[in-house]
Amino acid sequence: MTDQAIIDCRGVKKWFGDFQALRGVDLEVTKGEVVVIIGPSGSGKSTFIRCINRLEVHQEGQIFVDGIELTNDVRNIEAIRKDVGMVFQSFNLFPHLTIMQNITLAPIWVKKQSKSEAEAYGRELLERVGIPEQADKYPGQLSGGQQQRVAIARALAMKPQIMLFDEPTSALDPEMVKEVLDAMKELAKEGMTMIVVTHEMGFAREVADRVLFFDYGQLVEAGTPEHFFTNPQHDRTKLFLSQIL
Amino acid sequence: MTTAIQRPTRPPFYRDVTVLKWVFQIVFLIGIVTVFWLLGSFSIANLAKQNLAVSWDFMARPVGFQVAEGFTTLPESGFQALLVGITNMLRVTISGILAATILGVIIGVSRLSHNWLVNKLATVYIETIRNIPLLVQIVFWGIVVSIIPDIVVDETSDGSLKSLFGLRLLPEGWIFASPKGFAMPWLVPTDGRWQWVGFMIVGAVAALYAYRWRIRLQEAGTAEARAFLWSGGVLVAFAIVGTFAHPVMGIFGPVFGFVAAFFQNTPIIIFQIVLAGLAVGGAYYIIKKRLDELRTPAGLGKLTDDDWFRLAMAAVVASGLALFFLLQSGPVKAIVGQGTIFGQEIGLSQLFTGLESRFSFVSGAPFDFSLPAIDGRFNNYAADAGHVITRAYFALWIGVVLYTAAFIGEAVRAGVLAVPKGQTEAGFAVGLRRSQLLRMIVLPQAFRIILPPVGNQYLNLAKNTSLGIAVAYPDIVQVGQTIFNQTGQTIPIVISWMAWYSFVSLTLSAIVNRWNKKLKLVER
Repeated sequence: MTDQAIIDCRGVKKWFGDFQALRGVDLEVTKGEVVVIIGPSGSGKSTFIRCINRLEVHQEGQIFVDGIELTNDVRNIEAIRKDVGMVFQSFNLFPHLTIMQNITLAPIWVKKQSKSEAEAYGRELLERVGIPEQADKYPGQLSGGQQQRVAIARALAMKPQIMLFDEPTSALDPEMVKEVLDAMKELAKEGMTMIVVTHEMGFAREVADRVLFFDYGQLVEAGTPEHFFTNPQHDRTKLFLSQIL
Repeated sequence: MTTAIQRPTRPPFYRDVTVLKWVFQIVFLIGIVTVFWLLGSFSIANLAKQNLAVSWDFMARPVGFQVAEGFTTLPESGFQALLVGITNMLRVTISGILAATILGVIIGVSRLSHNWLVNKLATVYIETIRNIPLLVQIVFWGIVVSIIPDIVVDETSDGSLKSLFGLRLLPEGWIFASPKGFAMPWLVPTDGRWQWVGFMIVGAVAALYAYRWRIRLQEAGTAEARAFLWSGGVLVAFAIVGTFAHPVMGIFGPVFGFVAAFFQNTPIIIFQIVLAGLAVGGAYYIIKKRLDELRTPAGLGKLTDDDWFRLAMAAVVASGLALFFLLQSGPVKAIVGQGTIFGQEIGLSQLFTGLESRFSFVSGAPFDFSLPAIDGRFNNYAADAGHVITRAYFALWIGVVLYTAAFIGEAVRAGVLAVPKGQTEAGFAVGLRRSQLLRMIVLPQAFRIILPPVGNQYLNLAKNTSLGIAVAYPDIVQVGQTIFNQTGQTIPIVISWMAWYSFVSLTLSAIVNRWNKKLKLVER
């Protein structure tokens, strides 16, 4: 593990019953790096990033986040979750809370910030994702794109070092994809460490430092976007890219 | 370029939706009134043929029977007998709702448990209880109690009573079980209880303020809330202090006396005018509210035919009520306590006179600790010693509680399962602990799904208490039946039953609906 590796995965394996979803994944991510994971559905890419904040439990191998190993130790899991923000495909905003309450819930209850402090930062975040006027509405009153931007703000409210994005634009109307991608690009520019599972090749090409191709629970190929989109090595990668580009 | 717009001609009235709607509504209304009027007059005529004129006289006359349990066992009038039935019914309903809720939540959560044994036990419970008719279960529990061995008075030694369970944990003579039911030590309220209850009402208000104060501090970030702990502490403090300080509430005695005198001495015409005013004001409020709801930024929205009908109904009913209050002084007199209802003086004035005498009474402790006792040759429990749970009460109570809890359990389980998995994941992802996640994310969302079906179960429980007649529990149905067996006045009794159960059901569902509205998710 180099000094800079903020995420370090070694031989991560995971089974769902008989089905092996991850067949030994090794990955190091350095601070400030933007990693985009692509691959066919069922290839284990979502499962993999969900292992990083322990929404799924890996059964073999090791995962270190910021030097802390993910084990069954509740204290480690809590420490890592405070440091890792996540944005889901289906937003998963809390429908019974206002936008502001969605954002300030964790800072108040997990980080024990005062309400005023948390709200001030929440307002700043809403400003950054471009919807400051929606603070007192409920998630059901917002469009999909707006909801996903709130989800990003909610994750950022914990001031995480790492952000995980699990197909953040897949559930959006085409015309709303851009507003979410713009918010993510902004974040990448600011130096956030990001792992993004997506099918948006344009985003991968423009923003990624590294692109990973997953298939059949394995990391098949990794490289810079340039290498990846112009000169892929593996046949499987070539096939995948030929089908989607 | 303009084309000539063809003005729509007004359709003939028999094709005009507006006209048709009005005609149907009015015809329907007249139809309903007619049907009920006919049914009523037929049955009155038929009863008259059998020399049974419908009359409410039994309400005021003494009744010649004893009620098995209640606030009095020797009611002075038919009205008081029904009142005993009503309070008995409420006793089962209120304690039953509380117990069924607690048990139901435990059962529902157990069914979601990953603990195999707990999970299966809850499943077996639900499947057994739900599939046996409630009537059978109530009879079953009655039989269970009736086969408990009777109490043996040990006359060979010191004549002391052997209690069934008291041998190890409790001193002998504290808890009894016999075919007559159960008895246990109790804090028996004495005359000071009214002042104490008054004191506790003040305490409840204080606890509410304590709760809000802690939440405010928490939101300002200066302290952990522990709001429930604080308000609970305030309540306990009031309960303890009130045990000694309750005579302070005696100052309210004269106040209540003044109110009673006011209702007694003010000329009746003033109350008539006030009530008529309230009816008109209420209608005005309803109409205004409805019109405000329909108001668009551009001005008053277009009223549909339904709106017109609704507003017209409100106005007609209100003016009818107002006229009734103005022309009929009798009912108004009864309400304020200057007259009688069914020969009973039970108006507002009498209510406050009662409160005056109860609050002005200065006494010792509000409660006395009392042990159960056996009374007489048949090993009955003494009525005023300890707390007695009769066989009938127990059988009905345990029957409706177990039965309703099974359904509440299923509603709870369904509600928790209906919260999407993504909510839990999102909660974990932002770092919430499992307990925080349950309290702040899962339960609030599950609760709004659970509330409507559970509200229905509360209604069912209230109505199912009428099955107590199977074990001769003296609720309003059993008492009413005894009355009409004696007097032959079936129609007034059935009307009383229906009025009472409708009142309870409508009150309960109004509470639940109100709550439900408050919890509704905001969406576009």
